[in-house]
Amino acid sequence: MSALRLHRELAAIWATGPGLQRLAAVNHSVIGLRFMATAFVFFAIGGVLGMLTRVQLATPDSDFMDPETYNQVFTVHGSMMLFLFAIPMVEGVAVYLTPKILGTRDFAFPRLTAYGYWCYLFGGTIITMSLVFGVAPNGGWFMYTPLSSNVYTPGINADVWLLGVTFVEISALTLAVEIVVSVLKMRAPGMALDRMPIFGWYMLVTALMMVVAFPPLILGSILLESERAFGLPFFDPKRGGDALLWQHLFWLFGHPDVYIIFLPMAGALSTIIPVFANRRLVGYRAIVVAIIALAFVSFGIWVHHMFTVGIPHLALAFFSAGSAIVAVPTAVQIFAWLATLAHGRPRWDVPMLYVFGFFFIFALGGLTGVMLAIVPFNWQAHDSYFVVAHFHYVVAGALAFPMLAAFYYWLPLLTGRTAAHRLAVPAFWLVFIGFNLTFFMMHLVGLLGMPRRIYTYPGDVGWNWLNLLSSVGGFIMTIGFGLVVIDVLAQFRYGRRVRRDPWRATTFEWAMPIPPAPYAFASLPQVGTPADDTEAGERALSLARGEGYLGFARNGWQETLGVHMTSGAPEQLIVLPRPTYLPLCTALATATAVLAMLFHFYALTLAAALLTAGLFVLAGQSAGLARDYGPLPVGHGVSVPPHTEVAGAPPWWALIFTLVADGTLFASLVFGTFYLWIAAPNWPAAVTPAPDLKLALAAIVALAVAAAAARGSMRMLAIGGSARGWIGLAMLALLAAIAACVALIGGVTPPPREHALGATAAALLFYVAVHAGIGLLFLVSNFLRLGAGLVSPLRSLDLRLTRLWLDYSAMTAVIALGLVLALPWLVAMLGARP
Amino acid sequence: MSAPPVPPQRLWWLVAGFGVWCSALVFLYAVHAIGCAFAWPAGALRPVLALVLLAHLIVIGWMWRDHWATSPAPGFDPTDTFLHTVIAWTLIAALVTIVLTLGPALALATCV
Repeated sequence: MSALRLHRELAAIWATGPGLQRLAAVNHSVIGLRFMATAFVFFAIGGVLGMLTRVQLATPDSDFMDPETYNQVFTVHGSMMLFLFAIPMVEGVAVYLTPKILGTRDFAFPRLTAYGYWCYLFGGTIITMSLVFGVAPNGGWFMYTPLSSNVYTPGINADVWLLGVTFVEISALTLAVEIVVSVLKMRAPGMALDRMPIFGWYMLVTALMMVVAFPPLILGSILLESERAFGLPFFDPKRGGDALLWQHLFWLFGHPDVYIIFLPMAGALSTIIPVFANRRLVGYRAIVVAIIALAFVSFGIWVHHMFTVGIPHLALAFFSAGSAIVAVPTAVQIFAWLATLAHGRPRWDVPMLYVFGFFFIFALGGLTGVMLAIVPFNWQAHDSYFVVAHFHYVVAGALAFPMLAAFYYWLPLLTGRTAAHRLAVPAFWLVFIGFNLTFFMMHLVGLLGMPRRIYTYPGDVGWNWLNLLSSVGGFIMTIGFGLVVIDVLAQFRYGRRVRRDPWRATTFEWAMPIPPAPYAFASLPQVGTPADDTEAGERALSLARGEGYLGFARNGWQETLGVHMTSGAPEQLIVLPRPTYLPLCTALATATAVLAMLFHFYALTLAAALLTAGLFVLAGQSAGLARDYGPLPVGHGVSVPPHTEVAGAPPWWALIFTLVADGTLFASLVFGTFYLWIAAPNWPAAVTPAPDLKLALAAIVALAVAAAAARGSMRMLAIGGSARGWIGLAMLALLAAIAACVALIGGVTPPPREHALGATAAALLFYVAVHAGIGLLFLVSNFLRLGAGLVSPLRSLDLRLTRLWLDYSAMTAVIALGLVLALPWLVAMLGARP
Repeated sequence: MSAPPVPPQRLWWLVAGFGVWCSALVFLYAVHAIGCAFAWPAGALRPVLALVLLAHLIVIGWMWRDHWATSPAPGFDPTDTFLHTVIAWTLIAALVTIVLTLGPALALATCV
């Protein structure tokens, strides 16, 4: 088949329609670009807000902004840069590039990618619009309690943050699960883990970190919003709560988040540097070990943001040592990059300028990080501008410079042109000089004692010229970014034209047409030798002619291959869903729920939440294949079954990693219960808890019955019988479990609004009830899909997913209800302590 | 004849070493907090913390022995060799991290 004919056939299947049909796009290239473009818009808004703060602080006693406006501006600047720019930009890069670098046609769940994007857009819009209406969050990007409680922030400012950010976090979590599954299961045939481009390892580890890092913050936001909206006193010390619980939950997310932002950019550096050094990356294995170590250690040092809250020295030492030692795996990567350059024959181009900018900035930020890891120094510098300088060096520097390097490196993939040096080089120097002038001065002014988050300062304390220089630097940096934008726009028209693979790279994203077609690869590459060894441009023509795997169109299906996790051997034919408006509709329903919650229309919140759930069930009705196919040819004499007929299909793994995230949220809730028990003031409560043992046992038994019935439905399906009876039994059992939980919540003592003891018990019970409710949705979906012929003895994935969910629900219910039953005993222990 | 692929379950070992480190940190932090909240004397709290640390070191040691027992033969599947090397180094790194981050702190005053 000719390359042109194959292109036409595949493009007809994979392309997104014109006009309004663009709203139905699910293709990773389209969504990835939207993510990056939207993140850049938020970056521009956040940058303007940052500049406003620098105008305010340029001179002492400034009345450019009043305190309330300043509070809103710096809070939204920080929140926007972290939640609406940094993380989504990383996600955008991951969505756009990962499938291409791994040699596959798309991500595992295109509709989820699109849903994630719309959630991000709507959540970000809510936060941005709040600034326009003067009700933006004003308590700092970490929303510390009790400042953010409704006693001290009575308006909707904090609610905007809690609901808007949580909305965006849901988007991040869905994408994280998708990235993990895609990297593990959807690579080019033959791409064993040891042959995977290092970028894949970085994305895998980053996505796994996101799966575990975001749930504690999501839980914290839910608990704080519950306190603000319904009066459940999780963080109110007068009623048995503890303000520090928020800090723990926030930083359990917040510290790993720094590395979640850094690691993908490090992945970009590890991809770019070998190309410009003209040699393979030094220390591939060492880097894999380093990023695994970095991922874990970054979680174990959250308390270094809390060194001044009064934790005993022995415990502080754990986190201080951890905070220092985290520099080691980071240094392993830096030295690997330096060794690659030292042993190669480096050539210069614009991306390398930003790489060297990164080395300088990140080394400085890393060193001040080690300084802040040392407790006595931390006590001195805490809450000063030294900390502001440090985190701008590590977060802004570690993100912005590699991001611009990556931008200039991969832009030819989109435009077919490279940068005009006349603009790109001065733009780099303006950004570099401006960045250092802005933020280096903050170290000095911090050491001179200037605290964070003040809207002005007196003129006689010696901070004037440093602040003025910092503000001037900010403007220089902004001019630099402005030049970058002009350069990029100019590149589209005036850049130097290049052929495919202009950098002579070896990764697969260059083995495709420029700009990439919607199907990415006309046929999938076979990895026979290490993927880093062959120039991608050499493979491109052969792949375009359909000489790889799946070099044909079949049944109008969007086909790609699923592979064995470790060896990369072809294992399943994955048939992906076509463009649909469902992700947009579902995100709109979710946004309605969020907005209704924001304005206290709780009935509408419930209705919109149910609609969202219904739309998810509806989405399930158009997934999968309507009959058994058995093994189908995929090229090179290989035949594999469709993903609907194998055990390890992507949805199975997606549910496993979703449960990992869910389990982290649950563990955080259990941690919160024990934390309040041991650390909160005003415990024990005046009223002793007295949970109803019979009701609790009834809930556990009902969930166990539902799990057993799910197994019964699988057995029945396997022997060709009707599974509907078992599914009906499971539904009844779940309804009974929900009823028991609701009755238990109704009888919680002390009343949840009066004491955190009752509130935590209610939260644990609510968790069980919600999981039983989601189990009902699984069963409804099973029922509908059985009726539609989408489930058969060979296509039993639906029932296996339900069984897994109900097993998890029953297991966590035993722990949650056990803890609720143990509360009287735990409270009695408190009464007996000296 | 090609060797059978490394089973996906083997990937759990990539996170096992540092999983033990996490467990050690969480248990030490929790036991320390409980000990201080219930005013355990330093003479009792410190040995309990040391025992928790020791238990985790034993687990890492056991994992190392188990991992070494499953070494791939020379010239075997390169993916197996790769994973074996990476897992071995994560175990070593986790052991060093446990010792350096959690060991010396136990000599400090317990609840000050």
